[in-house]
Amino acid sequence: MKAVLSINNISKSYGPIQALKGVSFDVPEGSVFGILGPNGSGKTTLLGTLLNVLQADSGSYEWFGGMPPEAARRQIGSLLETPNFYHYLSAVDNLDIAAAIKQRGYDDKTRVLEKVNLLERKDSKFQSYSLGMKQRLAIASALLGQPKVLVFDEPTNGLDPAGIAEIRELIRQLNKEGNTIIMASHLLDEVEKVCTHVAILKRGDLLLHGPVDEVLRSEDVIEIKAADIHTLQTIITEMPGIRQAKLSEGTLQLACADTISPQQVNEYCISKGIVLSHLLLKKKSLETKFMELTN
Amino acid sequence: MKSLLAIEWLKVKKYTTFWVLAGLFTVLLFAWNYMNSSGLLKLAGPNNIGLLTNAYKFPEIWDNVAHWTKFFSGLVAIVIIILTTNEYQYRTNRQNVIDGWSRSQFYNAKWLLVLVMTVLITVYTFLLVLIFALTNGSSMSDMGAHAEKLLYVMVMALDYFSFALTLSFFFKRSGMTIVIFLLYTYIIEIIFQQLLNWKIAWKPGNYLPLQCSAELLPFPLLKTLKSITGLAASGPTDTVLVITTIAWIIIYYFIGRAKLLRSDW
Repeated sequence: MKAVLSINNISKSYGPIQALKGVSFDVPEGSVFGILGPNGSGKTTLLGTLLNVLQADSGSYEWFGGMPPEAARRQIGSLLETPNFYHYLSAVDNLDIAAAIKQRGYDDKTRVLEKVNLLERKDSKFQSYSLGMKQRLAIASALLGQPKVLVFDEPTNGLDPAGIAEIRELIRQLNKEGNTIIMASHLLDEVEKVCTHVAILKRGDLLLHGPVDEVLRSEDVIEIKAADIHTLQTIITEMPGIRQAKLSEGTLQLACADTISPQQVNEYCISKGIVLSHLLLKKKSLETKFMELTN
Repeated sequence: MKSLLAIEWLKVKKYTTFWVLAGLFTVLLFAWNYMNSSGLLKLAGPNNIGLLTNAYKFPEIWDNVAHWTKFFSGLVAIVIIILTTNEYQYRTNRQNVIDGWSRSQFYNAKWLLVLVMTVLITVYTFLLVLIFALTNGSSMSDMGAHAEKLLYVMVMALDYFSFALTLSFFFKRSGMTIVIFLLYTYIIEIIFQQLLNWKIAWKPGNYLPLQCSAELLPFPLLKTLKSITGLAASGPTDTVLVITTIAWIIIYYFIGRAKLLRSDW
C-alpha cells in the first residue's frame, strides 16, 4: 500500500526533555492510523512537527511522496490540540479564512457545518460557543474541501457521550469513503473501535507500530477457576502449550499458544480430575496491551 | 501578495476593537489639528496670542500636521500590536500554518498590514494638510515647500509600526507588548537619547530605533525656540536620519523573520 506519510527518524527536545527519540514509521493510504501514548508521550509534538508548527531537531518527513509541505498541508484537514479560531468572528467567517488559506472549500461551509450539527449556530461568534461546539467547529474546518487525509489530535476532547459516538461514526464513514485518518489519542477505547493501524509512543520512544490485528495478535487470555486453585495452577502449568498461569484475584490467567482453545483446557483439566468452576476466553484489549507497554 | 492581504482583511473587517481604535485615531487627529488651527491653544495674557494659528498655512502646516500625526501614531502601533498578539492568544498563527500557509507567508502578511497602515496614515496626513491649509486661506500653488514632511511621515510610520510588530513577535501577549512599546517609545528611549547625546559630540542618541525617525518630525515651536535661543541642533541631517530609519526597518524585518522561521509556534 502506498504511504501518504513517511516519518524518518524524527527527534525533538524541549531543553533537557527529549520529546521524540528517532521516531520512524509510515502511514498507509486508506488507513485509520492511531497514535497512542499516555499524556506527555510526544503525540502532539509529533503531529505539530508534521504540520510545521514545531521544528524537529533532526529527521525528516514526507507527505504524499514528497509534495512541498505547504501544498501538502492544504490537502490535509487538521485539528491540532485545541480549536484555534478568531474569537470575535462567527463560524462562517472563521471557515472563510480557513478556506482562503487552503484555497479550497469556499462553497463547502454549509455541508461541513451540517455534518457537525453547527448549522443553526453558524452566525454566532466563536467566543459564545461551548467547549464541545468549539471542537465541532474545528472538525468542520478540518473537513472543509473534502481532504483525502485528516489529522485529528484528540478529536473527542470536550464532547459529550453522544458527540463522541458521532465523531467515531464520522471517522468510520470518512474511512469507508477512502480517506486516510491519522488520529492521536489517549482514549484507547476510541482507538480500538476505529483504528486499522496503531503506533504506540512512550516518553518519545516509538514502542511498536503496525496493523491493529498484528500488534494485538496471539494475545488472548484464558481465565479459569476451580475449588482448589493451587492444585489447578500446578497441574495446568504442565499442560503443553501453556506458557504461563498467573494467579490473579482468585482466578488463573493463562497465557497460551495460538493453538490452545478453551475446550482443550477444559478437557485437560477433566482428564486430571479437576472440574472447572469458571472458564472464559478473554480477548486482550488494547488497554491491557497499552498498560503493559507503557508502565 | 494580494491573497495574503485579502486574508488579513477577512481577519479585521469584522473586528470591533480595530474599528474603534482606527476611528479614535482618525477623529482625535482631526480634532487636535482643528483645535490648533482655530487658535484654541493660546498663550495666556491680555493679547491671548494663538500659538499655532499661523502654522496652519503653507508651508509651516506640513511641519505641524506631520508632527501631530507622529504624536498620535502610537495609537495605530497599538492596533498593530493587538492584531498580531491576537494570533498568539487565539493560536491562529498555528492554524494559519496548519491550513497551508508557510511561516514566511504568515510573517509577510503582517508586514503587508504594516505597509497598508503606513500608506493610509500618510494619505490621511496629506488630506488633513490640504483641508486645513485651504480653509485657512492658503493657496495650492504654495504647497511645494516643506512637502518632504509627508515622506518623513511615511518613514516614521513604517518605523513605529514595524517596531511594534517586531515587539509583538517577541512578547506575544498584547498587554505586555503594549506596555513595553509605550515605555520604550515615550520614556526609555528618551532617557537613552539624553544620556548618549550628553557628552558625545556626534549625538548617537539621535540614531536610536525610533528617535531617528522622530527627529524628522520635531515639535515646530521647538525649532523656532532653538533658533531664537541659539541652540540650533547640530544633529544629523534629515537625509542621514531617513537612511538610518530605513536601516532599522530592514533590521527589524530580518530579526523578526529569523525568530519566526526558527522557533516553535
